[in-house]
Amino acid sequence: MLQADGLGKRFGRSWLFRNLSFGVEAGEVLVVRGRNGSGKSTLVRILGGLMQPGEGAVKLDVGDRRRGLSLCLLEQSFYAYLTVAEHMTLAADLRACEPRTKELLTKVGLADAAAKTAAQLSSGMKARLRLALAIQPDPRLLMLDEPGAALDEEGKQLVQDICREQATRGAVILATNEPEEGRLGQRVLQLG
Amino acid sequence: MKRFSLVLLLLLGIIGTAYSFLVSDAAGFQAPGLARIFLWHWPCTIAYSVMLFFGAYLCIQSLRTRQAHWDLRTTAALELGAVFGIMVLATGILFSEVEWGAFWSWDPRQTSFLMVMLIYMAYFVLRLAIPDPQVRAASSAVYFLLSVIPQLFLIFVFPRLPQIAQQSLHPSQTIVMGLLSNDYKTAACLTLTLLLWLTGLLYRQRVRASMLNLSLEDLP
Amino acid sequence: MANASSNSDSSLKEILAVFRKEALGEARSQTGLMTAGLFGLVAVVSIAFAAYGMKLAGTLSAGLLWVALMFSASLTLPRAMLQEEETGTADLLRQWSRPHPVYWGKTLFNAALMTFEGVLLAILFVVFTEQTPASWPLLLCATVSGCISLAGAVTLCGVLVARAANRSALAAAIAAPLLLPLASLGVGAMRSAFGDGAIVQGWQLTGAMAGYATTLLAIGPYLYAAVWKT
Repeated sequence: MLQADGLGKRFGRSWLFRNLSFGVEAGEVLVVRGRNGSGKSTLVRILGGLMQPGEGAVKLDVGDRRRGLSLCLLEQSFYAYLTVAEHMTLAADLRACEPRTKELLTKVGLADAAAKTAAQLSSGMKARLRLALAIQPDPRLLMLDEPGAALDEEGKQLVQDICREQATRGAVILATNEPEEGRLGQRVLQLG
Repeated sequence: MKRFSLVLLLLLGIIGTAYSFLVSDAAGFQAPGLARIFLWHWPCTIAYSVMLFFGAYLCIQSLRTRQAHWDLRTTAALELGAVFGIMVLATGILFSEVEWGAFWSWDPRQTSFLMVMLIYMAYFVLRLAIPDPQVRAASSAVYFLLSVIPQLFLIFVFPRLPQIAQQSLHPSQTIVMGLLSNDYKTAACLTLTLLLWLTGLLYRQRVRASMLNLSLEDLP
Repeated sequence: MANASSNSDSSLKEILAVFRKEALGEARSQTGLMTAGLFGLVAVVSIAFAAYGMKLAGTLSAGLLWVALMFSASLTLPRAMLQEEETGTADLLRQWSRPHPVYWGKTLFNAALMTFEGVLLAILFVVFTEQTPASWPLLLCATVSGCISLAGAVTLCGVLVARAANRSALAAAIAAPLLLPLASLGVGAMRSAFGDGAIVQGWQLTGAMAGYATTLLAIGPYLYAAVWKT
């Protein structure tokens, strides 16, 4: 589903990581661990196609990338003037999939916040919206970057449920230092 | 081989420069003796045009492959293009002073070429403002490709528009209509060959220096 | 055949989604319209004040109006691209969409915004400077095709500076040299509209501006795609 060959990224003169090669198959949960600054978020962004690697290549076999690949990034901003429901509709229109707004917002616990603008959301609510948007297209490959960082215990349990569900129909790459989330993975990629 | 070609270049330089000073004065100019500025002005325009099209090709390669060395080559080509562009303006300004009585007369040809130089300035300002090398390479290549249409318009189309051409003092049909004398043609060919050879040499040296710099960055 | 038709339906839906998002943002914040409107009004009032009640010649009027349009475009249009990078929402578009529909959605919105501002500016200019255009249709068509060209060029410049230092000023600085050939066409068309040249020539130059706009819009998506995911 994903094959990374010889990946490397540097900022300035120093390499964050180099010669990283690994693959992810369907049904797998790959946990990416590393200390702060080891490049977990950068790796997720490279694998998700949001950043060019300094060297190496990533091959994806997920069909249409808009729907086949979905990311839940730690530092993901939203449009301050759009409501939660409008974000779901915009994402669905751009990805050519069903919005499933009511179903997904209920699942992530944001059903009452559908009419709130992103500017009015707390950091925990934003984290839940990120999850809802990530699972909206039923992606084949789901990448999560520290999804439980701003979530309460209920939210962290939600992340684990999503990862287990996703593993039954695709694959997950989970960048995390949370021990509970780390136990979801069959393999661990250690950075740094 | 390298030393031989350098010696040959030096010889050509001496001969070309001497010939350009020794050709007989041109007819039909305010200061016939100083019309020989053309013998350096015209080759600079050719060298600039070569670098314009070569630079555009390198930009496409840079965007296609996303490899750092193509960006280095692009920068080298466009730096040379800018240098020759400035020389075109400088020799043109000198010609304007001796033939038309003013360093700058807002002649359409002069003005349109100044606008082209502003585009080059904007290109280098854009490169300076972007810290990430990959973003810088892509953004500057796209900007230059975007600027090719205005450049071609300003250099080749705008000065030849009938309502513009009739206002311009700049000679435009001299070469096309075969109005150059034989010794001027010879001198022009010599200086053109010299400048194009020099362009190639400078380009290669610049690329070599940039590649060395790049490989230094890779050292632990 | 069915695949091609569903692909183009999907692209159209994406373009409309981006256009709608931009329009919603503008409707709820109104910063673009207000900034451009205020700038336009100040520019026109300044010109009328500086003219000291004298009647401006057609060529001068055309030049001043074009400068006002160019600066209005440079101030407001890059925002469409710059804001996405500044607020961090560019990644959403990169994840959810493709470069061509995003380019078309944003450029169409900018073109609509700039055309509205440009026509308003042209009308205000004529009123404040007490001009009588020789041909209103020519003036308005020249303004519209000029504004669409400005939108195409300046939007793309906004993309190029989105990850640079001193972005807003830089977008205007790098766009200006690209717009100089357009300025020669625009001023030529407008001076004819103000009575300082043949009307036929004015229409020819307006056609040339439309050609410039078409060329920019044709190559724009491909250039945008080249910087889409750097």
